[in-house]
Amino acid sequence: MIRLENVTKLYDGGVVALKDVSLDATKGEFVFLVGPSGSGKSTLIRLMMREEQPTNGDIWIAGKHASKMPSWKVPHLRRSIGTVFQDFKLLPNKTVYENVSYALEVTGRPSHLIRNQVPQVLKLVGLSAKSDRYPRQLSGGEQQRVSVARAFVNRPLILLADEPTGNLDPATSVGIMRILDRINRTGTTVVMATHDHAIVDAMRRRVVQLERGRVVRDQSRGAYEQRAMAEVSARAEVASVEPEQSQAELELAAAEADLAELPIDEGYPNGADSLAAAEAAETSTVREEVESGVEDESDAKDGPEMEDESEKEDS
Amino acid sequence: MSRLKYVLGEALRNMGRNSLVVLGAVLAVFVSLFLVYGTLVFGEIASSNAAQWSEDVRVEAFLDDDLRNPDRLQAEVAEWAGVAEVTYVSKPEAVLYAIEVIFADNPSAQSIIEEDPAIIPASLRISPADLQDYDGIASRLEAVPGVLKVVSAGGAVNQLISLRDGLQVFSWALAIALGVAAVALIANTIHMAVYARREEIEIMKLVGASNWYVRVPFLLEGMLEGLIGGLIAVAVGYGAYRLGFDQIQDTSQLIDLEVTPGFLWQRGVLIVLFGVAVGAIGSAISLTVHRYIRT
Repeated sequence: MIRLENVTKLYDGGVVALKDVSLDATKGEFVFLVGPSGSGKSTLIRLMMREEQPTNGDIWIAGKHASKMPSWKVPHLRRSIGTVFQDFKLLPNKTVYENVSYALEVTGRPSHLIRNQVPQVLKLVGLSAKSDRYPRQLSGGEQQRVSVARAFVNRPLILLADEPTGNLDPATSVGIMRILDRINRTGTTVVMATHDHAIVDAMRRRVVQLERGRVVRDQSRGAYEQRAMAEVSARAEVASVEPEQSQAELELAAAEADLAELPIDEGYPNGADSLAAAEAAETSTVREEVESGVEDESDAKDGPEMEDESEKEDS
Repeated sequence: MSRLKYVLGEALRNMGRNSLVVLGAVLAVFVSLFLVYGTLVFGEIASSNAAQWSEDVRVEAFLDDDLRNPDRLQAEVAEWAGVAEVTYVSKPEAVLYAIEVIFADNPSAQSIIEEDPAIIPASLRISPADLQDYDGIASRLEAVPGVLKVVSAGGAVNQLISLRDGLQVFSWALAIALGVAAVALIANTIHMAVYARREEIEIMKLVGASNWYVRVPFLLEGMLEGLIGGLIAVAVGYGAYRLGFDQIQDTSQLIDLEVTPGFLWQRGVLIVLFGVAVGAIGSAISLTVHRYIRT
């Protein structure tokens, strides 16, 4: 789904942002990019979304040779990529609903499809009740959920997230991660650059560590830092516990179940097949998770750092 | 249909947002196109008048009474380059013409001529093929033996032509300079519109809107500004012509200000199209230069 071969990126003045990076992410994989500031995480994301081009090396995105693609083809490539950023990038003069539908409108999707899809995706991120609000009326976590909804409403094959929790408190971050995880389970490849130790340690997914533009570690089911692995495993047990179920949380869970039954619409040249396949494959998993979430309810009080995020956001 | 509505809506909203800058650009388009329109109309008036005069005005060579063979001279001159027509005016004809036409209101001059008709010489009247041929024909005639004196309106015609040409060159230069200014001003308004919407453009590009989808509203905005400027230029130009026509036509018999309505309309449409082109060029320049659009 994503393939980088010996990618080097130099900026003006000879600054080496990436040096000989090779990376492969298959369909449905969840990859964390970790490393200190300036290690090249954001550059890597920008190269994957073809906002920049590598100085050397080749990049394939969703089966297309992104680094050799003429710029007029880039818009089409972008439709198979969803992007989420630290600063949300929402349009302040548009409502939640409009911000999400915007992504479909500007790519020329028919309006019946927009009317059908936007409410579903808003339900998925738990914002159905707030679809008429403006971004300034929302908490940071809610704004980021809108941004995730916008990234996903196109049903992209790939979701790129650059520090999506960078502006959020830990509890709110968990809410975002839960949505990203859910999207990942539909078969979407997720690449997320982050500084957040707790999240990486809790999720135990593939970790690619960058250090001064080089890949220094590529580990499936890794932690933020290599040596902390044992300790992390212990902590992760706690972190993976589900929090108390609030109204928003219940809505999320319901949406999760609905996701498995999303109709396959025409007009999704990239995502339709993959989504259908993913739904078929993941239906049972999603259901299990929803059920296990309910089961874990009794343990929720044991996780003090995992208070319900929507309560915190609203305060 | 909804796409058209979206694009037009965006263009109009942008123009509302930067109304002062838009006004400046529209005014620049208006002034430059008004000048172009004026130049076209003035040029048409001048050349139709010049054509009129060239039919009326001739070179006249008065002949010595001793010249034996005026017919031969007539035939010879008719062969010269640039000569369209040569007419021989005999002495009796010249006397008649002098009394009945030239001095029709001058009885004392008439009586002098009647007393001694011999003072009126015979002449050759030569119509040049082109206005520019006057000088050559006149000076060549002066060298012919048997020609007493050559009278031509060449000098006056030349002055008129050079005045017309000079004015046209000046107006065109001014119009081009103002046209460039109009393009630059439109480019500037589009630049500001793009800057004002940079976040939206960034998001459109993120979610995969095609380049044309992003650009068309801006292109349309520039073209709309050019269109408005052009329409005002034609309307004001037409009004000014009508007003000037009524004011001047009565007082001046020398110049015929009449221009066919077909000409005014045809050039008017050209001017408006030119305005649209100026707008398109201005916004296209801005869009190729602007970094938010390019990446």
